[in-house]
Order: sequence, then structure tokens, then C-alpha cells
Amino acid sequence: MPNHIRIEALRMLRNKRYAIFVVGFPVVFYLVFSSVWGDGISADGARASAVLMVSMGAYGAIAASMMSTAVPWAQERRSGWLRQLRTTPLPGWSIIVTKLVTSLLLVLPSLLLVCLAAVLFQGVRLTAAEWLSLIPILWIGAVPFAALGLTIGSLLPGDTAQSAAMVGVFGLALLGGLWFPVEIMPEAMRTVAQVLPSFSYADIGRHIVAGSAPPVSEVVTVVAWAAGLCVVAVLTYRRALARA
Amino acid sequence: MNAITFTDVSKSYGDVLAVDSLDLTVEAGRTVALLGPNGAGKSTSIGMLLGLTRPTRGRVEVLGGSPDEAVARGDIGAMPQTGDLIPELTVRETVDFVRRLYPEPLGLDEVLAMADLTDLARRRADRLSGGQAQRVRFALAVAGAPRLLVLDEPTAAMDVESRLRFWESMRAYAAGGRTVLFATHYMQEADENSDRVVVIARGRIVADGTADQIKAGNGGHVVRFSLGGQAVAGLDALPGVVAVEVADGAALLRTADPDATVAALYRGTSLDVRDLRITGADLEDAFLALTREP
Repeated sequence: MPNHIRIEALRMLRNKRYAIFVVGFPVVFYLVFSSVWGDGISADGARASAVLMVSMGAYGAIAASMMSTAVPWAQERRSGWLRQLRTTPLPGWSIIVTKLVTSLLLVLPSLLLVCLAAVLFQGVRLTAAEWLSLIPILWIGAVPFAALGLTIGSLLPGDTAQSAAMVGVFGLALLGGLWFPVEIMPEAMRTVAQVLPSFSYADIGRHIVAGSAPPVSEVVTVVAWAAGLCVVAVLTYRRALARA
Repeated sequence: MNAITFTDVSKSYGDVLAVDSLDLTVEAGRTVALLGPNGAGKSTSIGMLLGLTRPTRGRVEVLGGSPDEAVARGDIGAMPQTGDLIPELTVRETVDFVRRLYPEPLGLDEVLAMADLTDLARRRADRLSGGQAQRVRFALAVAGAPRLLVLDEPTAAMDVESRLRFWESMRAYAAGGRTVLFATHYMQEADENSDRVVVIARGRIVADGTADQIKAGNGGHVVRFSLGGQAVAGLDALPGVVAVEVADGAALLRTADPDATVAALYRGTSLDVRDLRITGADLEDAFLALTREP
């Protein structure tokens, strides 16, 4: 499996779209937004530059996990690469586990770059304990999005999968309050936002940088989405394999 | 032990019967060509051999077990008819990745040399020509040193020069006592590169043997003469004759034994035979005769 993970990671890191849209964009957005609004103080007392770090880090993680799963997987199903792999001793379960693990590895560059930019350019300071909970939580919390990306890749052909993944990333980011705080959204949108995994995911991070414990309900929401989407990902994956 | 056994295998897609009661046994160490026109059922048969497609009826065995077991053990290497490589990876990375999936693979440099890829090793897959990409796909098929190599129309995207070199590579691999099954619709390729040709048409085996046997069995020669208005009755009873065609006042006899046919034609019939010509049929004639729609 390390052999396969290495290959999967290598291809994404060499992919220009991944480097620009997934790794580059969140950092650039962070630098722009934080230079405009970075000095504000949020309702729960955190500096806006730290809250924006969580939002853009979360956005980068969602984009990385969904784009690195949906697009290559949809393409290789159609291109015949999957058929080639199916004639090797590589077991079917290993292909999907590898994709999930690789996708989580690919979350790290954008997540760490956003945090680094926050420290270097906005002077964001957290305690060691806060860093050590924030980064692993934003990292592991990307599992539901990776599972959603795999589902999209199993269901749709290449080009459509890419569009669907983009819409998914922006929809989750927008409705999850990563671009604008949910407080300024209309009532209906706010109701939708609060059941989405992206809202709870980022909200856990916002609580950490504000120095408070994340609410249990948000953790439950993310874990429930992760479990549900992983089941759906496995079911759709099995269907896609059978049709390879 | 046989490398491949198909026992009464059928595969249908809806109302379409792609493979119809196929029985086929291939001994280990042979190189077998599966020859047939497009739509004959070659790729469907290969899909079942590789465990990618399940037969509707019947049983496929590979090296004493199911195709899935053979694939899991690393006993099969395959070059499917179509398939793109991963564009961002180099030839070397791609081949090495697949090679390491097998328990006892060939050496990386050995594989690259065998597929004539040594000079292209560092090139990315998206910068390869069609023929070069085919060579990489051949390398992927042999990289794991599989006991059974399955190639589905391997030379489709190659020019003449690449084809010759490709078949040299294939023969080098087969020479190690391994079994090779390849599908093609090029008669010449089947003739030159296999020691057994299985001709398949409309999902059934219509001929099976060496290329020479197939040519002979289907009228290895053609005897042609002007018939004018004379009756054709009795021509098909002449010794050696396997088929008779009459067109534009000419009779065309496919025969396995042209000497006997011609002797009988002069001595045993009262026909006025003019413009007699005898030509040798090639595998292509035999193939066309065998696979013609009824």
C-alpha cells in the first residue's frame, strides 16, 4: 500500500490544478481577507485573523480532500486505468483505502500553509495545546469530505465529477460559513448551514482558537456525517468496481 | 496443468449472445492467437478470463483455480484493449508501481529493456506517442513475471516498425515457458506469432489448430476455371473440395488437395474446363471463409 499511496500522492502534487486551486487559493484568500478584516474581534473574543485562519484552513482541507478523490477516481474509472489495476494482485478494498489515506495526506499542505501564513503575516499566536488540537482535528475532520469526493467519483464520469466536486466544495464552504459568518445569512440558509458537516467542522476549530471547548453536538455532527458518507462511499465504490 | 480452461461458457448482454457455449483448453507454455473479426466475442472472452466479467453460464479456470484467484496470486498479466496511463507519472514510476504489486516480479531495468523503454524511462505518460504508450502497457503486463500473459489487440495503435519490435518482445517473454493468449483481427499476426490459432466468430469457435492446419482445412488452395453455361452439379463431390462458388460464369473450388481435385476434374467429369488457374490460399482467405456471415 505505501507503494500505491506514494504514486497517488505524486500524481496530485504534480497536477497544476491541485497546486493552484487547492494549495494556492486558501493561502492567498487568507492573506487578502486577513489584511482587510484581520484586526477585528469575533463575538466569542477571538481575533478575526485566527478565525479566518480556521475558515481558510477548513476551506483548503475541504477542497483538497474532495478534489483529490473525486476527479482522479472518476477519470481512472473511465480511462481504463482501473481495469488495468484490476488485473494485478492489488485487492479492491486496498484501492479505496489508499485513496482515502492519500487524500488526507494531501490535505496537509494547504492546511499547514494557511496556519504558517497566519503566524508569519498576522502574528496569530496559539498555545502549544491549541495548535496540537486544532491541526489534527482539522486534518482528521476532513474524512467526511474525502468520502463525499469518492462517492462523486464513483457515480459520475470525469468532467461531470470535476464540476460536481467544485460545486460541492464551494457550496459546503459558502453554506458552512467559511466565506461569510452564518450570522449574516437569511434564516433559511442558516438552518441549512447548521446541519452541514462543513459548518460543524469549522465551528470546532473556531472554538479552539477562541480558547473554549468545542460543543459536543458539533463533534457528533461531524462524526455522524463521516460515518454516513463513508458507508455511501463504500457502497458506490463497490458498484463502480463491478462495472469497471 | 492447463493454463486456461473454458467449459461451456456463454455470456449474454440482454438479448445479445456475445459468447456462445465456448469450450477451449490451452496447455501451459503455448502461445495462442484468438483470431476473429470485431464483435466476435474476443474481448468478452478475455474479460471473463481476467475475472473482469462473469460468465452467464459455464466455468472459466485459470491455472487450476478461478480467474480471481489467479489474478490475486499474481499469475496473470494483462494488456486490455484500451486504457490510458496516469498522465502525471513517468514511465519508470508507472512500471515500477505495477511491478511491485506482484510477489515475484521481473527487475525494473529488465522490464524496461524488454519493452524497449529504457530511453523513455523518465518521460511523463502524457508526453508519449500512441505506440510508446502501448509499449508501456505491454511493460505493465509483463512486469510482474506472470505465468499467463493476456494481450487484447496489443498492436492496435502501432506502426509497422513498432509491431515487429513488439512481437519480438512478446516472443522473448513467451520463450521463458510462459503461456500467452493474444487477441487480434490481423491474420498475419496470428500466423506469425502463435503456435496455435483459435478462430472465433459470432461467439463460437469456428476453427482451431496451427495456422497451416486452418489454411488447409478450409481449402488451402483455390482452383478456378471458366464454367460458361455448364451445370455445377457434382463439383462439391470432387476429392479435396470443401467449398464451391460460382460467379460470373466462373467456378471457384476451395480445396485442400489441388492435385486430386484437378485430376478428378479432367478425368471424372465431362465438363469443358477452360482457363484453369490454381492459387494458394493464405490465412486471410481461410479466415474470411470461416467468419463470413451465414
